[in-house]
Amino acid sequence: MPSSQSPSIAGTALDPTSVRPPVADAEIVRVAPAEVRETLVRLKAEGCSMLLDVGAVDYLEREPRFDVVYHLLALPAVAASVAQIGTPRRVRVLAGVPGNATALPSVADLWPNADWAEREIFDLFGITFEGHPDLRRIQMPEDWQGYPLRKDYPLRGPAREATPRPAFALKSNVPAGTPPAGRVAAALQKQRERGPADDVVRDTGTGEKSST
Amino acid sequence: MKAPAAIPPPMGVDVVETTGNTMTLSLGPQHPSTHGVLQVVVEVSGETIERAEMEIGYLHTGIEKSAENLFWTQAQTVIERMDYLNPVGNALCYVLAAEQLLGVTERIPPRAQAIRVLMTELTRISSHCVWLGTHGIDLGAISAFWYIFDIRENVLDLVELAGGARMHPNYLRIGGVNGDVPEGYLAKLDELIAKFPQRMREMRSLLQNNPIWRDRTIDVGVVTPEDAIRWSLTGPALRASGIAYDVRKAFPYCGYDTYDFDVPVRTEGDAYARFLVRLDEMDQAMRIISQVRKRLDTPGPIMIDDPKIAPPAKETIALSMEALIHHFKLVSEGFRVPPGDVYQAIESPRGELAYYLVSNGNNRPYRVRTRPPSMYNLQALKQMAIGNLIADVVVMIGSLDPVFGEVDR
Repeated sequence: MPSSQSPSIAGTALDPTSVRPPVADAEIVRVAPAEVRETLVRLKAEGCSMLLDVGAVDYLEREPRFDVVYHLLALPAVAASVAQIGTPRRVRVLAGVPGNATALPSVADLWPNADWAEREIFDLFGITFEGHPDLRRIQMPEDWQGYPLRKDYPLRGPAREATPRPAFALKSNVPAGTPPAGRVAAALQKQRERGPADDVVRDTGTGEKSST
Repeated sequence: MKAPAAIPPPMGVDVVETTGNTMTLSLGPQHPSTHGVLQVVVEVSGETIERAEMEIGYLHTGIEKSAENLFWTQAQTVIERMDYLNPVGNALCYVLAAEQLLGVTERIPPRAQAIRVLMTELTRISSHCVWLGTHGIDLGAISAFWYIFDIRENVLDLVELAGGARMHPNYLRIGGVNGDVPEGYLAKLDELIAKFPQRMREMRSLLQNNPIWRDRTIDVGVVTPEDAIRWSLTGPALRASGIAYDVRKAFPYCGYDTYDFDVPVRTEGDAYARFLVRLDEMDQAMRIISQVRKRLDTPGPIMIDDPKIAPPAKETIALSMEALIHHFKLVSEGFRVPPGDVYQAIESPRGELAYYLVSNGNNRPYRVRTRPPSMYNLQALKQMAIGNLIADVVVMIGSLDPVFGEVDR
């Protein structure tokens, strides 16, 4: 939790990716949303076979507002030794997504692991992926409102408290309203019939037994 | 005569619906063998799985959001809680990424680097111990759990002795480590190094050639190299499919290129191969530890010599005004990190763990994106499960070793 006594120092860089220090961590490719797919298809054909991760960053005051970041790694798709792999090529594709048109083409057909990664970005940033087979929330409950990792989503405070918090059970593949099945249902029913427990003896740790 | 009552399904398994020849079963989220809170919904025909879907997010705690609202040093405390079996690895990855942005990677003292390697390899062993113990329990091999947790206790004692806590020591710092290892530490480490090979032989004799264990794991959950690449498997899961990609070899950090170790590889790609790769990895981790042990004989600084990053020594605060000012500034508002973005990967016990950090020049990280190896490894279960028996889902989850603190973050 940030302490109220230590105000944040004002940020200096509107677009940190343009003023980055000389760190040779990957080749960096910046593309417009329309070119994302063709760039990734080309890179995959060039041998960047693994889609390590898809993440997103909200720059809030920058235009385009969001960056969706694809991390690619060139690994052989056959058994290979440490020497054969050497230092594989890393590529980072940054796609700027404007705040008023938050959509990108999905790459879940190129790499199946993009499925969950894109769902997570949809869930936490509200960026939709066209052509995704099953685009729905993944971390937050289905009926959550707002996109928590956006910079204008408050960490806490009245606006955060006003967000309705659905029951935990709603985040489930089981259709809403399905009664619990099996022994759990029977146990619950029994518990209901018994009513509130009034004869539980609790050890208070003081040597005396208190009854609640 | 009364009709016999329907046999209720076992605890944690709910029948969702039955259509035609297939039945949809929901396994979890409260199920002991899902290693956390994972719900697997499988469509079975008889006992064979035709389709598997997973629901995650039950353990979502918004760690990435929290980290963005803490100082650079404070964020490390929540980051350690992502992969709670590998807290030091998470901290190491974050710390290395922040050091890249600060441009101080070359200035970290060698002793600090050695201690970091020691702590990461110790947690690799303790993490694999939990995996092996719980994987064994899932398959009914309970004895292995008790033996392996003995090693884990010894390892955690060493983590506690140096870092002050067993699970989340928060021992690493941007710029080095929090303090040197205490007196008598190396003797304790020597004890573990001496004891470990015998313990590993016991573990292997319990499981490796055990016919039941082999029957349950061989040819179960086979992943071809092509599929491993398509689903972005990393770590032991990838190396069990024949691809010897290890971040410590491909993109060395903390001086891993100066240590002598092998990367265990198998080509079968089944649960047994993943089991063997992890066992071999534990031996290799101990091999690295014994090399670190030799380097720790030479004393040296354990923190970077930069008052803007490293807090001053406690005893100097009362004597030096500069030290007092630096202490005050570091505690009250932290330090700033130059703007930029960086992708830093390490080899965690589960695979390529990476942080994509963005700084806008502030005293808090602007964005902390994790590349969670467990999440991508687990996702492959959707394909891996098809055609296997429902009883083997447990084997496959265990062999992928997901940690839900990291999957859901």
